[in-house]
Amino acid sequence: MSRPGFVLEVDDRTPPLVVHEGLGFRLEDGFPLGTRVVYPPESIPAVPDVEDAIREALLHPHDSEPLPALLRPGMRLTIAFDDLSLPLPTMGAPDIRGRIIEQVLTMAAEAGVDDVQLIAANALHRRMTAAELKHIVGERVFRSFYPQGDLYNFDAEDRDGLAHLGTTDKGEDVEISKRAAESDLLVYVNVNLVAMDGGHKSVGIGLASYRSLRHHHNAKTMVHSRSFMDHKHSEMHHSAWRIGRLIKEHVRVFQIETTLNNDVFPRPFDFLQKREWEWSVKDQATMLGVRRGLAVAPQKMRHKMFHDLRSVYGLTGVNAGEVEAVHERTLQKVHQQHLVEVQGQSDVLVMGVPYLGPYNVNSSMNPILATCMGLGYYFNSYRGQPVVRKGGAVILYHPLDEGFNQLHHPSYVDFYEEVLAESTDPAVVGEKYEQQFAQDPWYIHLYRTSHAYHGVHPFYMWYWAAHAMDHVDEVIWVGADRRVASRLGFRAASTLADALEMASGTVGTSPSITYLHNPPHLLADVR
Amino acid sequence: MSFLKETADDVRLVARGWRWGRRPQVPRSAEEWVPAARSTVFHTDWSRRRPAMAAREIAQKAGLEPLFRSQVRTRVEGLDVLERTEGPVIFVANHASHLDTPLILLSLPDEWRRRTAVAAAADYFFDTWWRAVGSSLLFNTFPIDRRGGSMAATPGEVLADGWSLVIYPEGTRSTDGWVGRFRMGAAFLAKEYGVPVVPVAHRGTFAAMPRGQGWPSPGRRQLTIRFGEPVVAGAEESVRDFSARVKDAVAALLDEDSSTWWEARRRAASGATPDPTGPKVAQWRRVWAQTQSPSAEAPARRLRAWSR
Amino acid sequence: MMLALEMFRSVSRTMAGKAIGGRMPGVLSGFAAPLRLVTVEEPRVARPGWARLRTRLSGICGSDLGALSGRTSLYFSAVVSLPFVPGHEVVAELLDDCEDLPAGTRVVIDPVLACAARGVEPCEACAQGATNRCARITVGHLSPGLQTGFCHDTGGGWGEQLVAHRSQLHPVPDGFSDEQAILIEPVACAVHTALRAGVRAGDRVLVSGAGSVGLFATLALRELTEAGEIIVVAKHPHQRELARELGATEVVAPGEVLRRVRRSTGAFQLEPEFSSPYLLGGVDVAVDAVGSRPSLESALQATRAGGRVVLSGMPAGADLSAAWFRELEVVGTYASARADDAFARATELVAGDAVQQLAKSVANYPLHRWREALDHAHSAGRLGTVKVAFDPRSSS
Repeated sequence: MSRPGFVLEVDDRTPPLVVHEGLGFRLEDGFPLGTRVVYPPESIPAVPDVEDAIREALLHPHDSEPLPALLRPGMRLTIAFDDLSLPLPTMGAPDIRGRIIEQVLTMAAEAGVDDVQLIAANALHRRMTAAELKHIVGERVFRSFYPQGDLYNFDAEDRDGLAHLGTTDKGEDVEISKRAAESDLLVYVNVNLVAMDGGHKSVGIGLASYRSLRHHHNAKTMVHSRSFMDHKHSEMHHSAWRIGRLIKEHVRVFQIETTLNNDVFPRPFDFLQKREWEWSVKDQATMLGVRRGLAVAPQKMRHKMFHDLRSVYGLTGVNAGEVEAVHERTLQKVHQQHLVEVQGQSDVLVMGVPYLGPYNVNSSMNPILATCMGLGYYFNSYRGQPVVRKGGAVILYHPLDEGFNQLHHPSYVDFYEEVLAESTDPAVVGEKYEQQFAQDPWYIHLYRTSHAYHGVHPFYMWYWAAHAMDHVDEVIWVGADRRVASRLGFRAASTLADALEMASGTVGTSPSITYLHNPPHLLADVR
Repeated sequence: MSFLKETADDVRLVARGWRWGRRPQVPRSAEEWVPAARSTVFHTDWSRRRPAMAAREIAQKAGLEPLFRSQVRTRVEGLDVLERTEGPVIFVANHASHLDTPLILLSLPDEWRRRTAVAAAADYFFDTWWRAVGSSLLFNTFPIDRRGGSMAATPGEVLADGWSLVIYPEGTRSTDGWVGRFRMGAAFLAKEYGVPVVPVAHRGTFAAMPRGQGWPSPGRRQLTIRFGEPVVAGAEESVRDFSARVKDAVAALLDEDSSTWWEARRRAASGATPDPTGPKVAQWRRVWAQTQSPSAEAPARRLRAWSR
Repeated sequence: MMLALEMFRSVSRTMAGKAIGGRMPGVLSGFAAPLRLVTVEEPRVARPGWARLRTRLSGICGSDLGALSGRTSLYFSAVVSLPFVPGHEVVAELLDDCEDLPAGTRVVIDPVLACAARGVEPCEACAQGATNRCARITVGHLSPGLQTGFCHDTGGGWGEQLVAHRSQLHPVPDGFSDEQAILIEPVACAVHTALRAGVRAGDRVLVSGAGSVGLFATLALRELTEAGEIIVVAKHPHQRELARELGATEVVAPGEVLRRVRRSTGAFQLEPEFSSPYLLGGVDVAVDAVGSRPSLESALQATRAGGRVVLSGMPAGADLSAAWFRELEVVGTYASARADDAFARATELVAGDAVQQLAKSVANYPLHRWREALDHAHSAGRLGTVKVAFDPRSSS
């Protein structure tokens, strides 16, 4: 039986609590009495037979004919799938996307479909390496399609490979992969890790170009996405939905969405997803061992240790068919796994930023990504209203010392050194620099030929955090490099007590505090 | 250096936070989310493996036995039945004192003692790790639940592994030295696993160290213990009937111990075995009677060959 | 007799300085510098046109530090005459009348000892006014010496007295403080640098280094040319501010140069194996104002094909592949030329607000505290000082 999430109130019986901070974690015993700690629900049961569940979904889709009925000889079939930014951490092989794609291809082969292409829907994310693609689609699919060039990363800067489908009634350009747009059937295989993913965001964003993305990936939209984990109240999703509906007029989309449970930490790190007071002696010993190991290990080794983790997710659901009908069912499962009811807002929100976010898989968590992770994803993990009150303070844990990966994040370095030095206001930097970065030929070159995120990507990271920056008055990083924090426009403290002291100017000396105990993922339903 | 210091700090933090050596605590607000039937019983499998057996041998022979003999005198009768019996068996004894277990174990021949485990109340002997470790190391105890719940190791498994058991069917120490009501667990086990029950009667442990006393009374009190003929459950016999038969056997042994074999046999045959639960008289008289240590000389007719 | 610091021939110290001076300048000011405080005869005036001067203030230049730490190429050993009193950035007052200048006039000197001072017929370069390119710096009635402060006969600023020829003297306007005046000579060099840089309207310029050479070059480029963007590489926070005040559009840290230039020019960056990255494309003109190998190479690597690299610091050896492959114009700039009117222009620049502010940070030391002074000069950038100078009149 999996227990639901709940809100702990720190009392004198509470043991020190785990707070993630980059390539490590802290045992925080400094939470003031009365601090609320939001725990995610325990992993909900996985489906007993994955292959069976997939077949069931494909044969009995929602608001659509069964997949075999949509397949015929001579048709153009395109299969798009989520890139390596999902799920987090990377799933241990076999990846669920590969298992689904195999079944889809089996049906396509039976139906005699010859023209099949597989596209990783990486939008402006970096191109994945062959090994990364192989991990996602599985060896069989990889061997059958990759050498011929029929399995490839989407290239949002390949002018010849894009199709402009028109504009929405709000004037948003819809420009997506030409191959996808001109297919007889577009099958999209998604991993719906959090509530933000999936739906019309899959095709409408995953296969779109900068021209199309700029309409919703900007500071103004993001400030009004409250939150982007709740698509019904997210400007960004409204825009994606408009775009998605327009795409639907041009191409038949067969959406396959999957949901996962919260088994993110494999042994021996499973103590990280247990509630601390339920740690066995073995858990405590493991934790101590890991902590001491981390303390002596050089950063490279810690990085390798964490990034080599492969999660042992259980599949909790797979739904196929028409995008919106599917997404509704998907969200139900996601909410079942992530939703925790929280009563009222608090003055201070505490979050630990872990080693991994969507954009540093096999890479480093640079300060901009850490900001995006904390103030973007974690801050926005709410439904209703933010966990922290307007004008409150956010306290984040992360050392901000990982530096930049020059291969993956070349434009981030310039964004950090040049743009943030001038202003940290998302609207201001977007206005002045976004175009320059988006059109810089070198960034475009690296995006297309190397493994670099698009030049404009750091701006998106900053926009992600725009809502949080707009909402709170004070952001303090515990354990962070002081200079880096100040470049980001924030402050640094060495301990939670110091951070609360610093925040007392904003929220007083005895603020109400809420700590979001994730990962594993949670979604605070703030009443 | 700083690494060592940080390690020490970490260990201290965890030791304090998780209350090492004490009961773990659940934050009040989390109590409703903690599964209720959390078993706090410790595993004892290790205590029936070779290293623990070796340690127990040393502890019993070098520690327990000299200490026990220095505090009490014992007279053991009826061990010859064990020579005629194949293990495993269930020893069923009356229970009046913490001395009962060492008395029974130290009275058994070595080869029997080494393969005998003692059923002990999970809620008392197994609720802290140090008491669990200590008692299972020294007395080879394993937990049974007095209230009827699932246990980490069931008596059946222990029996099946070829271990004999000591079970006190009363479930608790007597408050006045007389025998209390027998529960049917021992009889059930014997019937279920088809092992014989060896009745054991002992006297004097209540007089030497009653409930509430932490150490035997001074003066090397006399204890007597007597093993009886094995009782085997009949194929058609109900657990209830069998349990009664076991109790009668223990009662007859007690009678024999305080009188003679012949007299006890005759009384048993006529159904006049004294009730081991004692006379229905004032409580003080019941206690008074039991605080008298048995005499090693009675019965007078004592055969050296049978004694030990 | 007068008190002066004298640089002398000491193979052991020069070797020691060469070995460790670059890395551990603190050690250098301790024992390894071939410098000593001595009492010597004042330099004498033997010919017309020469006059005695009493030093008021004399700066410590990067080239002085280079010479003392043995980092300077032995190339220059032929154009100095040991032992000599260093100090070529000098503010002094005339002790004698000198042609049109009466005794007591406060002057700065143009240190180059060209044909006029040496009493020989003007060489081709001098005839054209390019005095800094004079071909006769080892001949005439003076000992060899490229400048005052490297010549045995003239004395130098690091002593109480020196002699100078009328052609070297530039009167200091009233109202200038000595600290301000001491900056005229380095600014004159910067003026020359700016003119040599050949900057066209709107050109992007990179100035690598924000010591006094880099800062004054920035000032001169901003004031005398139509440069568009000027990117200055500065290590220390104080230098960043000064660079901005003196006309930089952007200030970057040493590690950021290439990326920043790439970003603002839209160039492509290449990563050669086992070597530092470079740009295809980049700035139009780069001024190396440090002379160290990394600085020089970053200037070469960040300049567009056909662009110009100006060597303003005394250069170390560097990989010149880029100069060949990208057809760079590598030009040197040494001291200042009379034809540029450099001193007059420099005087105007020094009168400006920014430089006046800067002059307040000039640190003065008496001669006997020379070890401290050198140590300070070595870490001037970090300590927020632009110029360290000797004041031989002072005794405390």
